[in-house]
Amino acid sequence: MTLIPMSWSRVLSPLLQPLRWLVRRRWLREAEVDAVLAWLQPGWRLNRVFARVEGREWVAEDMLALRLRCNGNARGWRAGQHVQLYLQLDGVRHSRSYSLTHVGRAGRIELAIRRQPGGRLSNRLLDHLPVGALLELGQAQGELCWPQESTGVVLLAAGSGITPLLGLLREALARGFTAPISLLHYIREQGQRPFVEELQQLMQRHPNLSVRWALTGQVQSDAELQGRFSAEHLQGLALDSVLACGPAGFVETVAQHWRGPLQVEAFTAPERSVEPGSAVRLGFARTRRQVTGDSARSLLEQAEAAGLRPAHGCRQGICASCTCTLLSGTVRDLRNGALFAEPGQLIRLCISAPASDVDIDL
Amino acid sequence: MRSDRELSRVELDAFGAELDALRSRTLADLGEVDARYIRRVRGAVRLCCWSGRALLILGWFPPTWLLGTLLLGLGKILENMELGHNVIHGQYDWMNDPEFAGRRYEWDIAGPADFWRHTHNHVHHTWTNVLGMDDDVGYGLVRLFPEQRWKPFYRWQPLWVTLQALLFQYSIAIQHLRLDQVYKGKMSKDELRPLLRQFNAKVLRQWCKDYLFFPLLALLLGANALAVLAGNVLANLLRNLWTFAVIFCGHFTEQAAVFSKASVIGESRGHWYLRQLRGSSNLSGGKLFHILTGNLSHQIEHHLFPDLPARRYAALAVEVREIAARYGQVYNCGSFSAQLTTVLQRIWKYRVPEADVVAA
Ligand code: FES
Repeated sequence: MTLIPMSWSRVLSPLLQPLRWLVRRRWLREAEVDAVLAWLQPGWRLNRVFARVEGREWVAEDMLALRLRCNGNARGWRAGQHVQLYLQLDGVRHSRSYSLTHVGRAGRIELAIRRQPGGRLSNRLLDHLPVGALLELGQAQGELCWPQESTGVVLLAAGSGITPLLGLLREALARGFTAPISLLHYIREQGQRPFVEELQQLMQRHPNLSVRWALTGQVQSDAELQGRFSAEHLQGLALDSVLACGPAGFVETVAQHWRGPLQVEAFTAPERSVEPGSAVRLGFARTRRQVTGDSARSLLEQAEAAGLRPAHGCRQGICASCTCTLLSGTVRDLRNGALFAEPGQLIRLCISAPASDVDIDL
Repeated sequence: MRSDRELSRVELDAFGAELDALRSRTLADLGEVDARYIRRVRGAVRLCCWSGRALLILGWFPPTWLLGTLLLGLGKILENMELGHNVIHGQYDWMNDPEFAGRRYEWDIAGPADFWRHTHNHVHHTWTNVLGMDDDVGYGLVRLFPEQRWKPFYRWQPLWVTLQALLFQYSIAIQHLRLDQVYKGKMSKDELRPLLRQFNAKVLRQWCKDYLFFPLLALLLGANALAVLAGNVLANLLRNLWTFAVIFCGHFTEQAAVFSKASVIGESRGHWYLRQLRGSSNLSGGKLFHILTGNLSHQIEHHLFPDLPARRYAALAVEVREIAARYGQVYNCGSFSAQLTTVLQRIWKYRVPEADVVAA
């Protein structure tokens, strides 16, 4: 039922402050308040961000831009940050992280979603999400920001790494940034150049912008660069600061070749160092299970392999849905190798691997 | 009493493996239906509570007052049993939905959910019916088994039990404070203080909601505050009596077994399963009855698989019963009235120290 339009709920939302206070103090249960708000307007919630799909546009063979209108709870979002997008499939709430390619007024945002071959979630979003549908998002996160003082900005993107950089680029150009900007985008095939028309138009309108595509999976055509990122690709560019975004391997290569000001964002889990002789005992206290595991894979994967179904979300250490108590033993953070051995510590299963025999409260 | 066959080590392992396999099969099958079910249960809870409260605003007019009270009581029973208890067990954690996350859910009862997660989910479910380890055996107030050492205090236990049933929500809330340990000096006042603060805050919230906010709201609307207050008191009382009866039938029926601390040292998974089966008792009844007990009528299945959605227990029960029969184990199941009668008999019988002699 829709008793009031979304725009009203956006206006009224700040007035709910007393309710938020009561919920924080646990005098009220948030789910009950949300149920009433959702009855008045399906996209209205006390704190959670819900957004309505206002438009869909294919920006490459394998990438769709979604224009969304958020309820009043998306506060302080910036282009170039990323948000979790939640989708329920078979009763399970899944989530994926997508970058904001645009943040406009009155809760209007744009996300770009790339098709992952065999990816259940991306395929569902790309093929079955109609205009008018309602989605839940998490709060935006991410530190990438435009180097306003720079005398030459180089943007290096691989695959869907273009999305946060495009968000930043659009905003910088709109603000009248005049120093030279070079964007290099590494993609597999010609047809996978997202936003190609818009970028070409931007190049015409802003002489300080140059965009080039490097094809990594196809015999190169004359205008394009060839192959994966290498230091030569930077030659001849006005180079003062670099922003790189893409898979972990790509970002690491860039970091090896460029020692100046650098901002990076990697979107797959970094590679894991497998230690020899790595069989460990995993104890799941709540389900009273003991299994033999290894010290390479995440506890989440290993718990699932043992038949457990722990709560989880992003599976890459962002959302903390998989937070769980470490009862004993040592775990290693898969992202940076840091060790944790404090009993009673909250750990995230998806990014922690056992570094000894461990017991967790699961 | 019970006529269980003793199982060898090998048999125990096979027994455990069969139950593990049953668990995995159910886990793999969870999905949309289960998620929709628990959402519907929550919808029913809201419908009962809100309509009950709305009717109570109409004052003392007998049909609306009675119906309002009953609806509110029913809402609270459903919330505590089928929704709260089961969600807090983490039965719906696999949904990844923050509104059904076991670690965060707070329920409509005096005891804080955090207390319950410890005393019930952890202690009671791990050490079910192990004397000296599972405080749920009589809650320290009642002597239910001849194995429990008699104290003069137990002579009056029918009275204690009556009080406990009427105030059941407070009795399970206080359990976590371990006042007996404080009294004996095994726990310091400093350890007690933060718990007490948490306890007070929750009880205060509950009282303000039921006994202050809604009566005052009625007053504001020009209605009878006293009628609303009385309706709330009675609804809470009904919930207390119902939950007490269901929970006491879970582990203290005639055929329920208790265990010694020594018997659980180095316990294997198969043995743990066996102890859950022997220490729990089921209640037979219709679908609505099962829902109203939060499916704790399938206490055996609940104890074998505390983190599987309770709506699955009825189907699991068929297989568990068959497995139990094959391993020569008694499957303790009876009607609500029959089981409750045996519980009450225990309470009466073991109030005196000679009971076991008389029985023998
Ligand atoms: S699933 Fe995201 S932090 Fe673990």
